Amino acid sequence: MKLIQYLIIVTFVGLIIGCSASAPPVELVNARQAYQQASSGQAAKLVPAELHKAQVALAEAEKAFQDDPDSYTTRDLAYIADRKAKIAEGLASSAAEKASTEKANKDFETTQAEIIKSGKEDLAASEKEALKKSEQLKAEQNARLAAEAALAKLEAKEEERGLVITLSGSVLFASNESTLLPAAQNKLNEVTDALLASKERRITIEGHTDSQGSSSHNMNLAQKRADAVRSYIISRGYPSNMIFAQGIGEGRPIADNNSAEGRANNRRVEIIIDRK
Amino acid sequence: MKNIRISIFVGLIFIAFGIAGCGSSPEVVDREASTSAIRAAQEVGAKDVPSAALYLQLAKEQLDKAEALAAKGEKKQAESMLLRAQADAELAIVLSHGDKDKTEATAALERVRKLRQNNK
Repeated sequence: MKLIQYLIIVTFVGLIIGCSASAPPVELVNARQAYQQASSGQAAKLVPAELHKAQVALAEAEKAFQDDPDSYTTRDLAYIADRKAKIAEGLASSAAEKASTEKANKDFETTQAEIIKSGKEDLAASEKEALKKSEQLKAEQNARLAAEAALAKLEAKEEERGLVITLSGSVLFASNESTLLPAAQNKLNEVTDALLASKERRITIEGHTDSQGSSSHNMNLAQKRADAVRSYIISRGYPSNMIFAQGIGEGRPIADNNSAEGRANNRRVEIIIDRK
Repeated sequence: MKNIRISIFVGLIFIAFGIAGCGSSPEVVDREASTSAIRAAQEVGAKDVPSAALYLQLAKEQLDKAEALAAKGEKKQAESMLLRAQADAELAIVLSHGDKDKTEATAALERVRKLRQNNK
């Protein structure tokens, strides 16, 4: 009797001791692991309040385990603690991704601003270039206008064959000579300066004489005179491949050779500038 | 010996009453928190995110278990099960949002990378 009573008491005590040393339920093991993972990650820094909630939930589960290791309460509280730890981890991950997005967006704006700035500098450079070119064009245009004005001053006549400048033979040459007079240079400089402004035009120098003397002599003289003028204009810088000399002689009078005045007018050099 | 037998018998009767007294009629439990959490998880598209879908499914299953427990009259256990369902649904929501945040971060980084590449 006493032995049986003793055995029953021992059994109960054994059971009680055994209960307090029982293995934790799998839910609690998982919860401990989940909290360990969450607390060693970004959660402590990024979402400390959520991590604290997970810690409180785990503590509650641990207490329940101490009080009643095998109860559904212990398992459910452990289950919930596990989820709370995972929630903290998930929220920390979200916060990190959001920070990453924000930084990327800022980088995008900065990079874009830099690109626009360097684009503006390029634009400024090309605008300068364009301005320079336009100024150059303007200068060329002005030079041409000046040349045209100069030509107009020279009383150039607009004819079908081109712009014709007529220079008196007596101004340029001594009688029957084909060497340019020193005084002729002033006049020729005037003409040449106007011509140099538009070197791309083809020029023909025509030498004309009056009808006195033989036509072959006059042709020869006319050619020499045309050559002399041509050489001078080339010496002043006009491209030689753009200027031609032709002796016409007495063949194309512009005035009556019967009068002195007429003959003087016929003795001339014509500079014909091709139309553009 | 006889006293011990009587003690054990009385003890068993008490236990029997105790078990009987633990309710066999259906109990009303408050499902609101867990059902709305499940609904919210569905609305954020948890089912389309694999990790979130798992917890959404668990939440639904636990809700069903809670209903069954409540029907059996196990109010406290049913309420505890509802808390599990709610925790699962809340985790499903967090994982859904996390997936979206990750997608946005990836897209933002890609946008910067492309801009730099196109303007080298």
